[in-house]
Amino acid sequence: MGPLVVNEIISDNTNLLLAFFIGIAFGFVLEQGGFSSSRKLAGVFYGYDTVVLKVFFTGAVTAALGLLFFSLFGWIDLSFVYVNETFLHSAILGGVIMGVGFIMGGYCPGTSFCGAAIGKIDAMVFIVGLFIGVFLFAEGYPLYEKLYKAGYMGSPRISEFFGITEGLFTLLMIIAAVLMFWGAEWAEKKFPREEY
Amino acid sequence: MKNISFTPRMLLTAGLLTLGVIIAAVPKNTTKPYKLSAKQILDELKSGTQYIEPEQVAQMLVEKDPFLQLIDTRPQNEFEKFSLPGAINVPFDAILSDEQAELFDQNVRTFVLYGNGTTQANEAWMLLRQLGYNNINVLRGGLNYWAEAILNPNPPAGITSNDDLARYNFRKGAGQALGGGEQPAGNDVKPTGGQKAPVQPPKGKKKKVAGGCS
Repeated sequence: MGPLVVNEIISDNTNLLLAFFIGIAFGFVLEQGGFSSSRKLAGVFYGYDTVVLKVFFTGAVTAALGLLFFSLFGWIDLSFVYVNETFLHSAILGGVIMGVGFIMGGYCPGTSFCGAAIGKIDAMVFIVGLFIGVFLFAEGYPLYEKLYKAGYMGSPRISEFFGITEGLFTLLMIIAAVLMFWGAEWAEKKFPREEY
Repeated sequence: MKNISFTPRMLLTAGLLTLGVIIAAVPKNTTKPYKLSAKQILDELKSGTQYIEPEQVAQMLVEKDPFLQLIDTRPQNEFEKFSLPGAINVPFDAILSDEQAELFDQNVRTFVLYGNGTTQANEAWMLLRQLGYNNINVLRGGLNYWAEAILNPNPPAGITSNDDLARYNFRKGAGQALGGGEQPAGNDVKPTGGQKAPVQPPKGKKKKVAGGCS
């Protein structure tokens, strides 16, 4: 049955239309969850507000369980699901840059547009910075090309990499997520802030 | 005894862990359509692993191999006129029906597809392999070659190797056992060198059955 596009159940254009509506819903949920506040995002690094961590891991756990159960019921063929290629070195470096930008600016690319949409000036400044970064990267690409393409690993799945089943990896991730949720709640009590 | 009250957090934790344990415990679903890519099919076609020799099928029939399942891909009227022993009729145009899916979706039996020639059996083989079914084979040469090789074998002419003689004697024996040919008993062509020629498939002709982990 699934994926819908690969099996030609829906057309490419319908796919884009669905993506448009899902994107609107995603932005709406981000805003409603308070993600348009840079203080909320920075809070996860200081421990006073860990909703970002909880949201990300809830998303990961929900998606993993959903895909695996869908696959189990024969609703989706996981071998047709696109997996991004991994360039290990640029993934690590990019992760560090993203994390630093996250804590300094208080936004990630998605939430900055969310914040800008409700008129937050810091979010708009963040978007300007984002485009400056894109520009610098594109113009200086020959300088980083070697590093950018280093450590190519194809499209591995973590479960394959460790040689365990996808289900077992998901169970481990759920255990890790639950432990983090409880740890995060503890941190919120330990480092409370009155107003942010 | 104290009453334990469950907070939403505890319920959520328990629920997530339960789902995780279930998904970790169940085997991965491998019954998915179109399991083989076009390239994999091409590789199998190039290596010809789908073919099974008539001698091997005859041997399995004589031995009443319980795992052998002959599939006749010809139309029903032709099947009723003549078919190989134990064959079931799956006409080519019905190959994708639900009943056939139940028949083919297993890993125990060895299926041997045959038609008059090999074209239609090969087409059926491609479809079935692409759907991911295992242990699907095509009878080399189809019924035409079967009639020629097994039911009415010609004795090898002139000086021939022991292998050729053994193959002939095997074919003749199998042909008689399977109701073909009208050869009087006792005119076995004796191989040179005094070797006995038992009913056995010729050496080096035993083919590995495709499927399984291949």
